[in-house]
Amino acid sequence: MTTIQMPLPKPIQHTRSLRQRIADNRWVYLFMLPSLVLTLMFTLYPIFASFYYSLFQWSGFTSAPHYIGTLNFSEVIVDKQFYNAFKNSFIFMFCSVPIKLSLALVIAIVLNDRALRLAPIFRTMFFVPVVTTTAIVGIVMTFIMSPFNGPINMIMLDLGVLARPIDFFGDPKLALYSVVGVEIWKWLGIPMIYWLAALQTIPASLYEAAEVDGANWRHKFAYITVPLLKPFAVIIVLITAVGTLNVFALAMTLTGGGPYFASEVMEVYIYRTAFGAANSLTLPRIGYACAAAVYFGLSVMVMATLQLFGARWANKERAGLSAAETTAGGA
Amino acid sequence: MSAKGKMTRRDFLKTASMGSLAAMLAAQGLPLAAQDAVINIVSSGADITSDPVTFRWVDSGDQKAVFWNAYFAEYMEAHPNVTIQYDALPWNEIAQVVPLGIRNGTAHDVFQRPLSVTLAQAVNEGWVAALDDIIPDFEAWKASFPGGVFVEGITGFNGKTYSFPATSNKRYGTHLLYNVAYLEEAGVDPQAGPMSADDFVATAKKVTENGAGRYFGFIMGGNQVNRWGAIVREFSRMAGAISMGVGNFDVDLSTGEIPYTNPLYLEAIDVLLRLRDDGSVFPGTLSMNAPEARARMPQGAAGMILQGPWNIPIWLRENPDFDFNIAGQPLLDPPTLVPITVGPGGSNEIHVNAAASDETKAIAGDIFHYLGTYEGQVAWATLVGAADPAIFAEAIAAADMQPLERNALLMFNEQVRVGPSQIVRNAETAAVNLELRPVTPNLAETVQGIYTGQIDDAAAALADLAGRANAELDRAIAAAAEKGADVSRDDYVFPNWDPYQDYGEELYAEL
Repeated sequence: MTTIQMPLPKPIQHTRSLRQRIADNRWVYLFMLPSLVLTLMFTLYPIFASFYYSLFQWSGFTSAPHYIGTLNFSEVIVDKQFYNAFKNSFIFMFCSVPIKLSLALVIAIVLNDRALRLAPIFRTMFFVPVVTTTAIVGIVMTFIMSPFNGPINMIMLDLGVLARPIDFFGDPKLALYSVVGVEIWKWLGIPMIYWLAALQTIPASLYEAAEVDGANWRHKFAYITVPLLKPFAVIIVLITAVGTLNVFALAMTLTGGGPYFASEVMEVYIYRTAFGAANSLTLPRIGYACAAAVYFGLSVMVMATLQLFGARWANKERAGLSAAETTAGGA
Repeated sequence: MSAKGKMTRRDFLKTASMGSLAAMLAAQGLPLAAQDAVINIVSSGADITSDPVTFRWVDSGDQKAVFWNAYFAEYMEAHPNVTIQYDALPWNEIAQVVPLGIRNGTAHDVFQRPLSVTLAQAVNEGWVAALDDIIPDFEAWKASFPGGVFVEGITGFNGKTYSFPATSNKRYGTHLLYNVAYLEEAGVDPQAGPMSADDFVATAKKVTENGAGRYFGFIMGGNQVNRWGAIVREFSRMAGAISMGVGNFDVDLSTGEIPYTNPLYLEAIDVLLRLRDDGSVFPGTLSMNAPEARARMPQGAAGMILQGPWNIPIWLRENPDFDFNIAGQPLLDPPTLVPITVGPGGSNEIHVNAAASDETKAIAGDIFHYLGTYEGQVAWATLVGAADPAIFAEAIAAADMQPLERNALLMFNEQVRVGPSQIVRNAETAAVNLELRPVTPNLAETVQGIYTGQIDDAAAALADLAGRANAELDRAIAAAAEKGADVSRDDYVFPNWDPYQDYGEELYAEL
């Protein structure tokens, strides 16, 4: 038997050195440089500095931190208040994210309807709280939700819904959930914009074809909107979840973590241990707070990793959908 | 006015408009003319530069800002080349701004020390300059202050003075301030004598009933957690559970033990619980800070608040129509009125930045010197009043002060004494302060938890707190000793402490 020797294709070799390739793309790197420098200064350095200082006993006042190894970490891990704050942060996230995303999706679907002529106005209205200063929102909300002459309580009392006013931020059973409520109202506009962007990637022709086939709105939602939004949903859920763990300004202005730690989330806990002792006669514990921040940062990093996998999965899904769409279009 | 002494139309209009302005300011409670009149810039002999210079000062503001704003305006007029930047910041911001400023070389020329930084630490870190070399004619200036203001270990070390307590600390922050009309309506006159805690609770209930939902008996800034600790601590101390603050807890310095298991603490907490159960507490108290609670009082929201004298000038200035009065703190056990004890030295300690330029140090010396003169103290007493009392008793007597403020100061004179200090006794205990960690939850947080029902067993919670505070003090002492400080728990025991007397040098000598 005669065998035919086929020449193997030569592997592609990068004949140009790294330096040459960088030189070729120097403008790309040059334009990336400012954001790279800022990222190094304001993201990477603080992360590494937090870890570094977590190994020290340091008040922030003295010039010489005292190295104590991992003692801060072992102390944090047995602190009941740490677990309470950690738990509250995740309760906050699990309450806020589903409600916020569901509401935002409903609003986005309504606003995405081209028949709604005033959509831009409503879109702006829902987005206004996002651009309002968080601390001001917090302070204003304490008045609006005040049990004494606060409009929300007054309306509910007048309507007979309540017999007694509710102390939204003073009742330990309600304080955390009241902050969640304000947070949802404040940040609803962000996922709404995400959903709107995602909805606008769905070709109108799909809905038109479905209508020709006799589909009602429920069918269109279940069989067109939901499947096509799924890749985006993964990303939106994860971005929103991570964002919901950062609620320092609202929590501080609305409750300060109280009453008696009932609404203390991780950021407030970190602040309290780092600076909050300022009104007492004990020194702040920067190292201890950094250790708590490292633990919390690691948990957020796990979520960010999930986000990375989610993004990859979403890209694959989108690529699959695009391919299917192209095939369908070609047929 | 014309040269002939006749008033022209222009003069008349000018005078009339100034009169209207003065009347308006007076109606607004802004006695600007009086403020200007009481401040008289006199040279201390300091060598003030004639070159343009910016001088920066930061403190915790409040009523002090009234004095400093008026004084600095006069000072800049007298020294046109000097620009003064005055920053009045809350304590939590001072705790961040001052250390950061020191580290990056932008600290103010004069600053108040963060509450948690001891003078020993500030001196060791090279934050503060010795005042001996800055204030003109220093020894005479220092000698003009009454005994007990400058205390070795509190205001200086090794014969040098680093800290100037600008005001007296003879005051407390939980006395009664009340709406006269509401208490009259309830048939109660706190001026008749010290009110018992039972009367206090009953009065709050009566006021609430009279208010019928429009106003309530008692209000406090319950979101500001330290208020819970302050009320319970001072009620207990005035009933006999004497103590002084160490770290973020209290120590009975007559025995060296933590006082929280004293039944008086439970009694004090019970007063708050009875107010709550009677429905006498203003709704929303738990979600309101102390300034908000203070602002609600003139609006007629509540009949009584337990607060400090700093409310008096604010209400007089901002709510001239509000008819209020003050009285002593209600007593758990009326025949017993043990004075509240404060630390030696004074309050509102100010410091000169060691890294400040010679020009600004000279300005600081000039200004500090003014506060050591009779005129300066009278000006301080007139403008700041009872909020942050002047140090010279004769200045308080001479000052043009509101009767309510004078009454408050007289009351403090009767009800406040200077207690012992472990730092005065053994300066090395400053090293223990550096080791002390905050005990969490502390007294204030524990009381808040009991009030909200998050803690069921108050006695157990107080016992647990006492145990944790005890352990923390032992740990901090051991840690300081390990690092070379000659300290022990005995430094916290003053068996000769009599809370009815100021704890002076002779008593330290007896130990």
